[in-house]
Amino acid sequence: MFVSKSMTSNVITVDKDAGILEAKDKMAAHCIRHLPVVEEDNRLIGIITDRDIRSALPSTVILDYENRKEKEKISDLKVKDIMTINPVTVSPSYTIQDVLLLVLQTKVGAFPVVDEKGKLQGIISVDDLLRAFVNVLGIGEPGSLLCIIVEEKLGQMKKIVDAITEENVSFGSILVARYWDEGKRAVFPYLLTQNISPIKKKLQKMGYTLLDPMEWYMDQINREKKEKGVKSR
Amino acid sequence: MKKTGFLYDEMFLLHDTGSYHPETAERLISIYKGIDEAGLLSKLTLLKAKRADMEWIEMVHDHAYIRRFEELCFAGNRMFDYPDNQMCIYTFETALLAVGGILNAADLVMKGDLDNVFCAVRPPGHHAEKNKAMGFCYFNNVAVAAKYIRQKWNIKKVMIVDFDVHHGNGTQHLFEQDPSVFYYSIHEHPSFAYPGTGREFEYGTGEGYGFTKNSPALPGWGDEEYKRLIENDLLPAFERFEPEVIIVSAGFDAHVDDDMSDIKLTTDGFSWIMRKIYDMAEKYSGGRIISVLEGGYSLARLPELAKNHVEILLNING
Repeated sequence: MFVSKSMTSNVITVDKDAGILEAKDKMAAHCIRHLPVVEEDNRLIGIITDRDIRSALPSTVILDYENRKEKEKISDLKVKDIMTINPVTVSPSYTIQDVLLLVLQTKVGAFPVVDEKGKLQGIISVDDLLRAFVNVLGIGEPGSLLCIIVEEKLGQMKKIVDAITEENVSFGSILVARYWDEGKRAVFPYLLTQNISPIKKKLQKMGYTLLDPMEWYMDQINREKKEKGVKSR
Repeated sequence: MKKTGFLYDEMFLLHDTGSYHPETAERLISIYKGIDEAGLLSKLTLLKAKRADMEWIEMVHDHAYIRRFEELCFAGNRMFDYPDNQMCIYTFETALLAVGGILNAADLVMKGDLDNVFCAVRPPGHHAEKNKAMGFCYFNNVAVAAKYIRQKWNIKKVMIVDFDVHHGNGTQHLFEQDPSVFYYSIHEHPSFAYPGTGREFEYGTGEGYGFTKNSPALPGWGDEEYKRLIENDLLPAFERFEPEVIIVSAGFDAHVDDDMSDIKLTTDGFSWIMRKIYDMAEKYSGGRIISVLEGGYSLARLPELAKNHVEILLNING
């Protein structure tokens, strides 16, 4: 769950005195969007993103002769002129959850990972978080997903897990999400089987409601809040 | 009327999956009954099981996998790789007989002795990967058939059409880099159904990019949506690829009365799909269709579905 396990350790970096076109080429060559800027001793001093560079470049629709003049000016621009100084960083001992919340809070796409001396140890991006999530969902392995609506009270999960385990079926993952009805939860077991219908029947017989797949969701409550927020602004 | 083969053998009933499994011998009995009671047997060329040569199976599966399957099976194990794959002491032999029966049927179609064929075999095959048994499947029947036809009969372009309600992950993975075998699958969307592959954006890889096409269908969809997907996705693929032979992974579990999925195809919907495939075979492939059974678990519906399937292959009204 720690950043140190999910981050990219071989970080592509750039010098503060490099030209911005050099930084642009470096990003393109490695298919990345963020370059931490470090001193010779690997101390982090800033970060430059593809968006910083794009904002600094003239529009591609500007006429050629104007462009040429602009280009001369731009080739003088250095990374240090447009980089973000003191970017948001995380430490290797941060958890994935920390970074998830930080992404939502800061809207930043990648965080340099630095140790207590300010030295760059790695970089963790939204892509790395998504990869961790694919892993958590278990969808790399073949299986079938169900959605069970349960009362929010103690012991529900045990009943479900026991009932499924009795059928000799393994779990790829199990998620619990909020449901729109007060006091209810939506449980999503991802089961490593094709043979799903006996389990469905069994759960229904036990009195559980299986939600129609077209009604499944995982984040409705947050989204509603967000939409209301936008309207009131 | 066409010269249509029908591969069926009581040997295929020997693969015993135990008492709590949907992939049962009764499925085949229902299929046979449906075809027999409609008086179609006399119009068909009846084909029997035949042991496959290992060299052909090894074109698809690793030698070590085949040996592991054989050893576990003959040692009396009831399960192979996943609890889904229940087996008995005859499972390995049955799987060999299924593949061999299909290859024999393919020979007859390629020689021109038959126009097309329906192979009612067990166990099914489209989930079986190079090194892994999955979703009731051990040997990938259609994949071996495609490789066999390519190699033995020097065919350049084979199209596999898979309308089983589950994505044929094994078949896709085995051919995703191969531009000579086009894999098309229509199935319940992988976020809602086994095995979790076959997303719309999977198009193949490397040289095979563009030779895989998936049409995921949402839970609750039926005839109308399937027709739209087939017209928009499959028919243009035929037009572009112009296959010389068509192999069908014929699974009947998208039927509304089949509780393995949330797809609601009717019996007529299945006929519509098969007629389209038939028309495409006439147009591009000299009528050559090798149809191989995959899933389909509604014992009440399998007789009529199999009967219609065979009637379309026979072109009984044509």
